[in-house]
Amino acid sequence: MDQNRQGARASYIALTIFVAIWILLPSAVRRFNREAFSEFQAPALHLAGKGRDLAKFWELKSRSNEEMAAAGRDLARINAALELKLKSMDDVRRENVRLRDITRYKDTADYLSVVARVATRDSSSWWQRIVIRKGRNDGIRPGSPVIFGITVVGRVTAVHLTTSEVDLVTSPSFRCTAYLEGDEQNRIVLVNGMAGNSLGSARARISVIPYDYFQPAGQTTQVFTTGMGGVFPSRLLLGTLESGPLSAKEANFKEGQLIPARDLYNLQEVSVLVPLHQTPGEALLQTDQLQ
Amino acid sequence: MGWAWLILLLATYPWLFAADLASDFTASSGLVIFISGACIVAPCRRLRRWQSVPFAACVGFLFEARRPIPDGALALFLAGAAIFLTSDKQLIRNTPRMLRAAAASNAAACLIWFTFAAGAAGQLGGAKFFSFIPQLIIPVVLAAVTGVVIYIPVSLVQNAAMDRMGIPPASEGPESP
Amino acid sequence: MKDVPDNRVLPSTPIERLRLHAVFFFFFTGFIYVAFGLGYRQLLQSNDLKDLSDTQSRRVILRPPARGQIIDRNGYVLVDNRTRWSVKADLASLQKEFRAEYSKKYQAEKAREPLHIDREKLLEDAKRDVLQAWLNKVWFVIDETNKTSKTYKAPPRHAGLSTPNERNINIEELRKHLRERRPLPYTLVSDLAFPGTGQALTPNEGTKSVARFIEQFPVDGPIRLDSDIIRTYPHGTLAAHVLGYVKDTDELPPNVDEIADFKFENLQKLRYTGKKGATGIEKSYDSSLRGLSGWELWTKTSAGYNQTRLQASESEQGSNVPLSLDYRIQKAAEDALAKIKDSQGALLPGAAVMIDVNTGEILALASQPSFDPNRLADRVSTAYYQEVEKTGGWLNRSIQGLYPPGSTFKVITAIAGMRNKVVDWDDILQCGPSYRMGGRDFPEHIPEGYGDVNLEVMLAVSCNVWNYQVGERLGIDRLAREARRFGLDVPLLSKSGDSEDGEMGGRSTELPSPASRGLVVPDSAYKLRINQGPWNPGDTANTAIGQGYLLTSPLHMACVAASIARGETRTTPTIIHDPRRDGRHQGAEPIGLNDAQMAAMREGMLRCVEEGTAKSVRIPKLPYAAKTGTAEYFKKGEKAHLAWMIGYAPADNPAVAFCVLVEGQFDTSTWGGKTAGPVAKEMLQAWADTARDPAEQAVEPAAR
Repeated sequence: MDQNRQGARASYIALTIFVAIWILLPSAVRRFNREAFSEFQAPALHLAGKGRDLAKFWELKSRSNEEMAAAGRDLARINAALELKLKSMDDVRRENVRLRDITRYKDTADYLSVVARVATRDSSSWWQRIVIRKGRNDGIRPGSPVIFGITVVGRVTAVHLTTSEVDLVTSPSFRCTAYLEGDEQNRIVLVNGMAGNSLGSARARISVIPYDYFQPAGQTTQVFTTGMGGVFPSRLLLGTLESGPLSAKEANFKEGQLIPARDLYNLQEVSVLVPLHQTPGEALLQTDQLQ
Repeated sequence: MGWAWLILLLATYPWLFAADLASDFTASSGLVIFISGACIVAPCRRLRRWQSVPFAACVGFLFEARRPIPDGALALFLAGAAIFLTSDKQLIRNTPRMLRAAAASNAAACLIWFTFAAGAAGQLGGAKFFSFIPQLIIPVVLAAVTGVVIYIPVSLVQNAAMDRMGIPPASEGPESP
Repeated sequence: MKDVPDNRVLPSTPIERLRLHAVFFFFFTGFIYVAFGLGYRQLLQSNDLKDLSDTQSRRVILRPPARGQIIDRNGYVLVDNRTRWSVKADLASLQKEFRAEYSKKYQAEKAREPLHIDREKLLEDAKRDVLQAWLNKVWFVIDETNKTSKTYKAPPRHAGLSTPNERNINIEELRKHLRERRPLPYTLVSDLAFPGTGQALTPNEGTKSVARFIEQFPVDGPIRLDSDIIRTYPHGTLAAHVLGYVKDTDELPPNVDEIADFKFENLQKLRYTGKKGATGIEKSYDSSLRGLSGWELWTKTSAGYNQTRLQASESEQGSNVPLSLDYRIQKAAEDALAKIKDSQGALLPGAAVMIDVNTGEILALASQPSFDPNRLADRVSTAYYQEVEKTGGWLNRSIQGLYPPGSTFKVITAIAGMRNKVVDWDDILQCGPSYRMGGRDFPEHIPEGYGDVNLEVMLAVSCNVWNYQVGERLGIDRLAREARRFGLDVPLLSKSGDSEDGEMGGRSTELPSPASRGLVVPDSAYKLRINQGPWNPGDTANTAIGQGYLLTSPLHMACVAASIARGETRTTPTIIHDPRRDGRHQGAEPIGLNDAQMAAMREGMLRCVEEGTAKSVRIPKLPYAAKTGTAEYFKKGEKAHLAWMIGYAPADNPAVAFCVLVEGQFDTSTWGGKTAGPVAKEMLQAWADTARDPAEQAVEPAAR
């Protein structure tokens, strides 16, 4: 027994030494370690995602033919409407291209859209994230915006070979600028995810709302991205401003809460907008480890 | 059996992954189903210390890898816990003690990751500390309960794996001096 | 280990017992002392001590309020507040980086010169370097994204300094900050939207910088984005003299005593530097505009950083001040003034005033050259101060400039003549090329003279000789009395009602320091008073045509025009808009002329525009009455011409009166009607547009 105790003491000492070494280790080694464990889990994540797809498939398989026919009919109707819209969009697009040509407008925000399935979701008081089944192999880069339709889902924070982690709009590490609907002067406000309490639903905070902004009575106020920060394209929907009086945390500004546009935890698929050119933010991250 | 701990890790991983999938379902309420602390108890009974320490560390790293927790915070804590458990096997001699140890180890590990994650998110300083404490209680209590509940199935699988590898069973009786 | 039973636990000998008792006694008294001391401290002194510890561990931070807006008569915002985004470094969370950098420097220094290590300096350098690295990153993001913008110009690298000031940490500032404001974050870029590299940044581009920072910088780093409210003058130099600007102040806000029930006077007070009006309306209406400060009560750490916010109260925005100015007329006046250049193309100084005839509300009050209060809103750079100083831009010529009124004074000479019955409206005077008074020949301004001249013709062509004759008949004292009746020696713009702000001397005015002391209406005793000998008839001749010792301001002359338009003697001008203002003017009395005389005055001034000296600036559909003037005066010891024009419009039903003054050169290029006329014309046209289009009033109404 004594021997065991002595061995324990030696082990504690060894552990302490190891902790010291671990702290002094270059961050690259630690990052490699994290990356390795991450990659180890990637296949499982893929498998889970595929499994979910399969479940969905069989669930659909079990529907009756009548149901499917009805769904098909509905879809055809939607399709026709969309096709019509697409035609008119075509004209607008052509006009846009022509105008850009005339004014020699330089398009700074070109994105490559990568569609990705959601593998798992994970959230706590300190983060709100999802894992998607696309990674470095698919050209995804950290910092890219993630959207679904025209609503913002979040931002890519970590990229692995075949998976990526996306911080949701409600995550404390998410921050972007936004416009409030009904503010003609287009003053920018700040959207920042809030750490939701355990068991509480996650929200984001909208701050720096000008003192003289008032919500239009009796309607929901939509919150849009500004497209000015060089990360998110403009006019994407972030959510709606929670109705009710805005609190005035700081002198001169008001604060409100953002209700995310979609149920972020029920997303099956998202698209990642990978900028075609490196953004300064990415360059900044590369030149120096900021954190 | 030098690689016993690695094989044991592979045997344990499905449970860890299942916990992640469970977290997926509870994601909208901001809860993480945490079992890593409970998973190291059974191996600590039978494995040698030098085997249980890397096992515990790897379990910790697996949890950390997908979450914004400072590198090594949980893994090194679990390694320390493994040393503690292997050096005083009295603590995990019989089933009630094992369950108690699982609950304690899981809750303590949960406390560690939660605190470190909060620190990394800058939520510990100043007035924020007071909102941190109530938030801490729910996951820690949940972790203690989960630790007890999950311990039996996890240890069954782990023991079966260790039996297959021919690792001698731990003595149930009081240890002789 | 071998156990040795020791039975000698208790002392056995008397000596030892005594010793033991002594020790017991000693410790017992010690214990009693400590216990009493503790009790005293805890029970009796506790309140005092708690206060002491509170004062040592708490502090109050005062937050300055947002100032009220200044709006024009239609609610158009002339002075506003805007969000200023500044990048600040939280020094408390940079401590780790500071220490790491310090130890790195320390090691290097130890290797180089182990004996004399200036630790203080090393620590300071370390702090500077860490902050500099962060500042570089901020600029990196701004520059990189600016490059994609169309208006981007590379920052000037070779022009003088290799890197502009705002890209470097100023060690002096940092030192001052660490000494005085350690717990507050250190400002890296004070105005991110307008970082001021000399790049032509539009507000839109500026907002982009902010957005870039928000989206591209890590959320929880030690570098934070702070937003506050600063003064902004959306129209730049427009009405700068009237509006004024603000300056930093360390004065405690007036409501500091009432902000809480704490003993604030004992606590350390820290505040973000507040603002107070330095000139203009910002100064004279400071107490209305200022608002009430907010405050926060914090505990602090032993190192002096903030720890926990215990209590807070919001600040309250100041009230708005509505000016009587009309943005459109003001703008027209300033634009027109800005077009007046001398033969070399340099801007000529000038002033223009337009007032509402009935209420006395000032519709435009322009002075050229001017300054941009936006460049003074944050901190006044010496260079900019001197730049404005050199052009003479600080002077508000319309109310502070003192000039001889020249021929515009002839309206007063005429009125004095008619009231004193030395001349009537239909009397015809013989006006040759010159007139002899007091042994000197006083010339007409055209060599051949005007011949037969009555009042109407005099006003139309601005005949001098007519005025010499009337002046001679009147004598200086009657002339001076008439000028005083019109208030030419009375300071204007005094504030009605209570007077808590304004001048130190007790007299409170609507704008800081309007002309009050230099106004001169000379009478026969005047020359003796200033020791220039006795008054002679030649001085009377000069005074009759508005030259000589006479000194007045453009606002005074505008008031004279308004008074004549109304048929009264006084007009009380005001810069504050009040829709319920009644038209009563202090000290006003009927002008004392009969209808025929008044009609002749109006007709003469109308003919001045239709066919006389102001013919070049007539407005086809708007007949207006005017009187031009060209005065001589000494500008910095050199002779120069002043171009004047006063008048009112419309001629038959006066609504507005105006006065324009331009400081010209001493050559033939400066003439009342030719030089000052266009400004008057532009102003009148702008007024006519606003009067015709009441629906279009309030082009952009105030935001609130």
